[in-house]
Order: sequence, then C-alpha cells, then structure tokens
Amino acid sequence: MTNIYAALEIGTTRTVLATGEAKTGERLRVTCHAEIPSTGVRKSQILDINQATQSIKSVLREIERKQEETGDSLTIANAFLVVSGQHVKAFPFQGTTQVEGQRVDDDDIEEVRRAARSNALPKDVELLDIVEQSYGLDALPGIVSPKGMSGHILKLDTLQITTNKNLVDNARTAAGEAHIELRDPLFAATCAAESVLSESEMRDGVLVLDLGGGSTGWAAYDDGYLAAADVIGVGGDHVTNDISYAFQTTQAQAEMLKRKDASASLSSPADPSPRANLFGSSPLMEARTVSRRSLDTVVNLRLKELFTIIRNDLEDRDLLHRLNAGAVITGGGAALYGIKDLVRQELGMPVRFGLPVNVDGLENEQHAESFAAIAGALLYAHKNYEEKSFFPSIFGRFFK
Amino acid sequence: MNDAKSSMILIGIGGAGSAAARGVSRAFGPGLRYVLADTDAATGAEGEPFVLLGGDRLAGRGSGGDIPMARLAAEDSRDAIDETLDGARLAVVVACLGGGTGTGATLAVARHLRERGIPSIVFATIPFEFEGAGRRQNATGIMSSIATEASSSIFLPLDRLVAGEDNMESAMKRAVDTLASGITLFWRMVERPGYIRLDPERVRRIVANAEGGRFAVATAQGPDRAAEVVDALSRSPLLAAGNTPARSILCGILAGEDLRLSEVGRVAEGVKAAFGRSANFDLATVNDEATFSGRLSVVVFLFESGIRKDDDVSGGSADAPRLRRQRRPRNPLAQGPQGRGRFNNVEPTINDSGVDLDTPTYLRQGVTLDA
Repeated sequence: MTNIYAALEIGTTRTVLATGEAKTGERLRVTCHAEIPSTGVRKSQILDINQATQSIKSVLREIERKQEETGDSLTIANAFLVVSGQHVKAFPFQGTTQVEGQRVDDDDIEEVRRAARSNALPKDVELLDIVEQSYGLDALPGIVSPKGMSGHILKLDTLQITTNKNLVDNARTAAGEAHIELRDPLFAATCAAESVLSESEMRDGVLVLDLGGGSTGWAAYDDGYLAAADVIGVGGDHVTNDISYAFQTTQAQAEMLKRKDASASLSSPADPSPRANLFGSSPLMEARTVSRRSLDTVVNLRLKELFTIIRNDLEDRDLLHRLNAGAVITGGGAALYGIKDLVRQELGMPVRFGLPVNVDGLENEQHAESFAAIAGALLYAHKNYEEKSFFPSIFGRFFK
Repeated sequence: MNDAKSSMILIGIGGAGSAAARGVSRAFGPGLRYVLADTDAATGAEGEPFVLLGGDRLAGRGSGGDIPMARLAAEDSRDAIDETLDGARLAVVVACLGGGTGTGATLAVARHLRERGIPSIVFATIPFEFEGAGRRQNATGIMSSIATEASSSIFLPLDRLVAGEDNMESAMKRAVDTLASGITLFWRMVERPGYIRLDPERVRRIVANAEGGRFAVATAQGPDRAAEVVDALSRSPLLAAGNTPARSILCGILAGEDLRLSEVGRVAEGVKAAFGRSANFDLATVNDEATFSGRLSVVVFLFESGIRKDDDVSGGSADAPRLRRQRRPRNPLAQGPQGRGRFNNVEPTINDSGVDLDTPTYLRQGVTLDA
C-alpha cells in the first residue's frame, strides 16, 4: 500500500510544507513542497500566533496551486511538525531491567525498552524523540543486539530529545487555525540527518550542522547511532542583526548584504572589489557602499564564535576526534558564501553540503540543503509511523 | 493599604512573587506601599492593589510558562503599572524566576522602572535543583538581563535559602517566608527607624549605584546573641563571597528596647570584619519591643559595587538622567540591550558563562571595523 505523509516547519525565516509518499519498504518520494517567508517567528519561537497561522495558510495555498499544476488533489488534514530552537535539549537516559532466566529473550528486550521510556518528564516539557543508542549487559557496554546473550542486568542507553511544551502547543494552535492537525513534533537536526547521511557515515562518525535562521542545531552520530545533539540559539538572523548594527542598515538591507556580498571565510574573497554596494532603504535614500573587509569580518567573527561553541561542546563530550566522516551542512545557512571553508577551519574535519539524497523528488531544487530537514521528517515518519489501516488517514481525501 | 507618603514601593511579580510581597505586607503591617502584578487574574485578592498584566493578550489566564509572552504582557500593561508608581522614588521588586510571568514580566518591569528613572532593587529567587533543568535555565538565562535593567539585583538560589529542608511544600513556604522577612526587615530599617536612622534618600543612592547584591538574615536570643548572629552571618551560604568583594555593606539591627550599645558595636565590628573593612558601611537600627522583644535580628546586604566612601551624599538627589549616565556595562558578559536589535523582545541566548550571544560578536570582542 502507498503511505502518504505531510510535514510542516514553522521556521524563523520561512514556513515550509511538504508531502511525501512511499510504498511500504520503498524509497520515499517528496511529491509536493512549498515555502514562504515566515512572519511572527523569532529564534524559532512563534511570537504571534495569528501571523504564524497566516503563514501556514499561505503555504497551504501554495501547495494547492502546485497540486493543480500536477493534477493532484489532496487536502492536508494533518502533518508532522519539524522543531528546532534553543529550547531543544538532548540528554541521556538509561533503562535497566533484570534478565528473567539465563539468556536475554524478546520479553527482556521489550521490558528494558519500556524502562527506557519510563522517564518522568516535567509537565512543561514535550518529548521529541527517544533514540535508542546501545544495550549493555552487566559490565559489557555497546551491544547492538543482546538477544540470546547471557547476563543478569540488561541496560539500554537512550538519548531523550525534548523541547518546551508551550512552544509546540503554540504551533499546534497556529496550525489548528489553518485546519491542520499536528501530529508528533520531530527534531530538525536529526530529521536532516535522516535525509542526508549514509549508514556508513553514521558508523564512521559524522556531524550534521543544521544552520537555521533563528538557531543552529547539530547531531553527532558514531557507531551507527545518534551520540549527542544540541541546539544553540544563534542563527542566520544573528549574522543579519550584526551586519545591521555594524553598518547601520535596515534588517532588509543587512539580509541583502549577507546573501549577496558577505563571506563567512576571510581567506576566500568572493569578489575582488573592496566595497559592497548598499542601495538606499527607500528611493529617497542615497546609495552607499560598505567595506567588504569589514562586512566579512563581522560575519566571520559571528560564525567562528558559533562553531567554536560547537567544537568545544563536541570536545567536552569526547566526540570531536571520532567524527571521521566529517561534517555535513544543511539548512538555509548552507547558501552563505565561504561557509564550508569556515566550518573546515573551525572544526578541523572534512565538510560537505547535505543534499537530501535519501529521498526522491528534490533533485531539481536549487537549494536542496534547505529542504533536508523537512524531507527527513517525511522519511522519519515513513520509517517509524508507517500508516496502518486502523490509523486515521493523514489526508482527508485520497488520490483521485 | 497604600501610604501615599511613602516614596518606597514594593512590587510583587508573578504568583510566587505576589505571595512573597503579600507576606511582607502582612509582616510589616499597615503603611507598606505595595502592588501585586501577575498575568493570572486569580492572583489578586479582593481589595488588594493588583495590576493584571497583558489583559487583552492573555485574558487574565496566566502566561502558561511562556516567557516572551509574559514579557510582552507586562509591556502592554505599562500604563497600569505607571498609575501605581505615582511619587515612588525607590522600587523594590520581588519575583521567583523560572516560570513565565516571574521571569519574563520581571525583566519588563525592571526595564520600565529604569526608563522612568526610578531606582530599583530586584529580589529574585532561582528555582530549586529539583524543579528541573528547564526552569533553572529560564532563570539563569534571564539573570544578566535583569541585572542590567535593575539598579541592583539580589539573586537567591532557593537551594541555599532553605538548605536541609526535606519536605517540598514546607521548603517552598519557608523560602518565600525567608525572602519576605528579609524584605520586611529592609523596609523597617528605612521606614521605621530606631536610634540610628537610615535616610531613605541615602538608601536610594546606595541602591541606584549598587550592582550585584547578596543578603542574609540571622536571629538569635540570649546573652551571647550578638556573637551568635555575627557567627551565623559569616557562615551563611547566601553571603558566600563571589569573585568580587563587597564594596558596600548595609547592616540593619532589629531588636527590642533591650538593645545594648555594646551589642551594636559588636555586630557592626563583626560584620565589617567578615565582609571587608574597606567597604562602605551603613548601619541602621530598629527598636520594636512588640516584635523583637528579647531577640536580636540582623540583616546584611552586600553590594558588589557601590558609592565610594568619599562620595558626597549630602545632596542626596541623584536625578534620573544622571543615574542613567552612570550606568555602564559592569562586565563584558552583560552588555545589556546594546546591539540586540531585532532580538530586543525575545528571550536572550545566554551561554554557559553568562554571555549574551545576541549582542554582535565583533562588539563583544571589541573589534574595530574599517569605515
């Protein structure tokens, strides 16, 4: 049977909606996707529910328009939510159980998995994911599959990813106003990893850097599972704000400078011209120029600081030297000139851009890195929530 | 009951902050000028001075733990707050950080007071360890912003306030009681002075120029009470020295009619010896036979920076513009609103060392740009 999913991301810069379909056990295809600039969102948090609702309605209309072109007609009744922002936290939690009998059987594994899910969370916390890392049996850690092994105490290490419940509820409210019921919230950085990483990279050790407008998420994989993840409340908006403050420009002018002229890396000038043109904020304002060197310095210092924070964090967790497959950049920040060089310098590892190669349908997208998270959410949904007949359908109406 | 003559006003923010302010009002008795402010309409009891924050925005149902929302709610209600501030020359703000209103609205109110030129001293508690990392992060994240906006701020980790208490409910209650009694004593020192009087304008000057603060209270009875009090204070975890030595000490001695001159001397000497002789020292006494009969209570405030010993305080009229000009970033970690731009009204991004990452990096690193 064909399963159909939808995912929504109410980001700081843009609101994205995508649908995907897949037959059981086959590759997922992104059937339709649309994005529009967000309003009322700062640092990945909704500050104005009405504006967020308007954004969702606009992106829905955009999807409907695209569907008309292709002849599809779907009403999106519910969607998974892609979540980021500095309130996202990932912390380890271990479930343990006593092995019944001599060897570990399926019941013991079921029991320890249940124990690992029994962590009582405060009321204001929303669970995004519980990632199973590895099993341990008595003193032996790092077991992939403990079934049939001998021992007394079975342990399961997990990473619990959470965020602030109110923020998710605000998104639920905004989407509800646009007649979309939100299903589970999913973490953007692990979603992005889902769509861009290969299994061998995950085994060798790899870092996904999801550069968003309001925050920067990262997810580090080693030995085939998610080892650690975090979000820092610094994103592309900070670069824009720094530029705006340094050169006394409007946010729109600063955004323009960032996209067209700025370079994250000081060693790779995009343009030999030493000054960047800055057109007036209104037709009556005079045009002026700003020093490219200063512009690049402002951007470089901001991002260098961000990546230093991440590097130190990885070092503290003893992960930095284990990421042999390097770093993979996703999100809108991937479009910034010189970002790859800067990440390579600051993290000291090979770097590539993360195109959502694990799904079909985005091959012709110019900045496919910025759709990595939403595509990954569809993929994650397909792997973990495969529609069963007794589930309510995601869509109000099916194809044709 | 508000005493129109009082130039000092107590503002309790949020549910817990309001409870503490109410406790102060009850302990102080009539004559305390205070106002409660919360996003939850249920907080204000009949006949109490109460400001509902964010009427239209939140409809009086509380902020639901949403800090930016609470901050915006408080900003909506600036006019209503203003009406309660008529003639106030010093505001004491009490709040419990961690929740929505206590965290978000406190920052907005402190900022508003600064803009009005009213010096403020913020007493804010930091949540217990057991309340979870989220609430603690809410609290620690906003600390540097509040410290920037308020004239002086005293942050009290609840864990230190009631160390050793095992029952959660009584721990909470005791924490609020301790906070309330500290503020009550502060109030009495200023408004119900005894033989050694502390001029309210002098207090205003100290607060307006002070920065990070700490406070503790100790009480003892019996013949050795002075020595016991000094001993308890010097061991108080609340006063445990930070990296910065105290620049200004405010010491209040509260006792009945039996307060002896030698005891005043011993307390003053002991406090100076424990917290720094070079610091500016101010002493006040309260004689209240009804409340303190046989007991000796001493409240000590330490401020990390303050007016210098040789400062001229005779004038005592630090006008508002001057207050603002005197404020400068106390450390590079808390640069305050400078350069926050579009992040002005959102929750700040504060890293583990307390640096506000919303401020442009080049600015924090002091990098000069070519024109």
